[in-house]
Amino acid sequence: MSDGNEMEISVRGVTKNYGNVRALDNVQLNVPSGTVFGLLGPNGAGKTTLIKILTALIRPDSGDAIVAGYSVLNEPYEVKRRIGWVAAEVILDDDLTAMENLWMQAKLQNMKEWKDTAMNLLQYFGLADRAKSRVKEFSTGMRKKLEIALALLHRPSVIFMDEPTIGLDPGTRHMLWDLIKGINREYGVTVLLTTHYIEEADALCDQLAIINKGKIVAVGTPAELKSKVKGEVIEVVTSSRADLASLSSIDGVRSVRADGEKITINVDASETTLPSILSKLDIRGLRRIDVLKPSLETVFLEITGSRIDEEPQMDIRRFYASIRRSRQ
Amino acid sequence: MNGWSQFEALFSREIKRIYRNPFVMVVTVVQPFIWLAFFGSSLANAPKAFILSYFGTTNYIAFLLPGVLSTSMLTVGMFGSMSSIQDKRFGYMKRILITPTSKAVVFLSKVFGATTRGLIQIPVMIAAAIVFGVHFHFSVYWIAWIAGLFLLGLGFSAMFLGLTVSSTDWQTPGVISNFITMPLMFASTALFPKTGFPSWMKAISSVNPVTFSATLGRSIALGSDPSMIYLGYLALFAAIMIGLGTLAASKWLKVE
Repeated sequence: MSDGNEMEISVRGVTKNYGNVRALDNVQLNVPSGTVFGLLGPNGAGKTTLIKILTALIRPDSGDAIVAGYSVLNEPYEVKRRIGWVAAEVILDDDLTAMENLWMQAKLQNMKEWKDTAMNLLQYFGLADRAKSRVKEFSTGMRKKLEIALALLHRPSVIFMDEPTIGLDPGTRHMLWDLIKGINREYGVTVLLTTHYIEEADALCDQLAIINKGKIVAVGTPAELKSKVKGEVIEVVTSSRADLASLSSIDGVRSVRADGEKITINVDASETTLPSILSKLDIRGLRRIDVLKPSLETVFLEITGSRIDEEPQMDIRRFYASIRRSRQ
Repeated sequence: MNGWSQFEALFSREIKRIYRNPFVMVVTVVQPFIWLAFFGSSLANAPKAFILSYFGTTNYIAFLLPGVLSTSMLTVGMFGSMSSIQDKRFGYMKRILITPTSKAVVFLSKVFGATTRGLIQIPVMIAAAIVFGVHFHFSVYWIAWIAGLFLLGLGFSAMFLGLTVSSTDWQTPGVISNFITMPLMFASTALFPKTGFPSWMKAISSVNPVTFSATLGRSIALGSDPSMIYLGYLALFAAIMIGLGTLAASKWLKVE
């Protein structure tokens, strides 16, 4: 199935509008079989919309996508037989037991022999002794594991994970990263995940596509992407006026951009340039200085002109609201 | 595409939801007793001659029972559409529709789930009537009575779910239920005989499925000769509503 060259997912010019908002703009994307592929972008970039189209939940306004060998437009049921899905907000039936949730998934996927696979998966995820417990008694980490077990039950060739670690504590997050790498290795399943966490994309993904405002703006391995940006970025927030021209003239400064009180300066090396920059700024107005070493963050910043997780707290609030909702 | 496996799963899920919730079970069982106790007692001291001339029988609890059962089948549709809105809100509808399950199967499982919930009340209610001193003449016709109630429940569940396929608002089922239930309950022979109705209400009552079910059930409960044509009307009603609802669901069922 995965001979290294084959594409598990091939997105061909997909556009999707919600009213006047263009959620996806002529998206082209190829995901090779057997990889962990990351879709990195800020909230509202169109990641979830793309997943909905690739899982044949909604139809694109134009374009098509081939998932696991079938067109989402023409053969959505064939696609749905071959994909697994893990939701950002952990969607399970709380009134049912772990085993009953797996049973639902098996029946919905038209499976006849499923019990052994289900038990093996529960064992793999360390949930075997809780098979008969109702899901409402589970911790968030356990729910996440059960949801991944559900996604794997019918042996899909690709699994979609929408923000798999959003709102999780660091320990659970690292556990989940290992788990995702593990299932990719042991079950040979392609994983397409979306994330707005830089370190997650870096640590977990074989390949990445950066998406912003409905457009794919860069594709490559994390290393390839990082090698694209040269130099480092210094971000300064100051309430007093700054002379941008004199900043630009400093030796080693590549570019200067101002946005309100924030000045973004691209430099060759911050160690040698930062003192000169500070000497040109009114020290009393300075409120914050950030030095960004070459990373996916600076890649994103360079390509899109904005940082990826500008408003993380808003997102977490929404996440917990949805957890509360689903536990009632 | 064969949707039986999916229907089986989704239908059992609806049923599990009912019996896993003890509160729902208790209320489902107690409610018919309260109905009969209060509504049945409201005429306890009325003159026998009046009751006989108005209801056509002195056994007015036996008169009421088929009507009350029909009314309760009228309201079960609300549970189906509430369950469907809950699935949309919690995202479970996405989980279902990301599998090769058609929207029509989702719709039908909700319709049959809600109707089954309504059927649970029938034996409880009949037992309650016996406790209140009604003597029934049990016969094979009782199967037709229950079949009629089942068809009535299917028809109204399909109607409710069909009307709310594109809704994600918790309030919708309640609002629609109030809007539909009251007029259909009173413009039928469920609670009162049509002799007292004005002619326009008689006209509505004569095409109201609740009347078909109440009339059929009443003739069977009181031991007179039932007219099976009502069962045909109810089957037609259920078939039309399920047909329209399935179409609406396939076209407009919202995922979230």
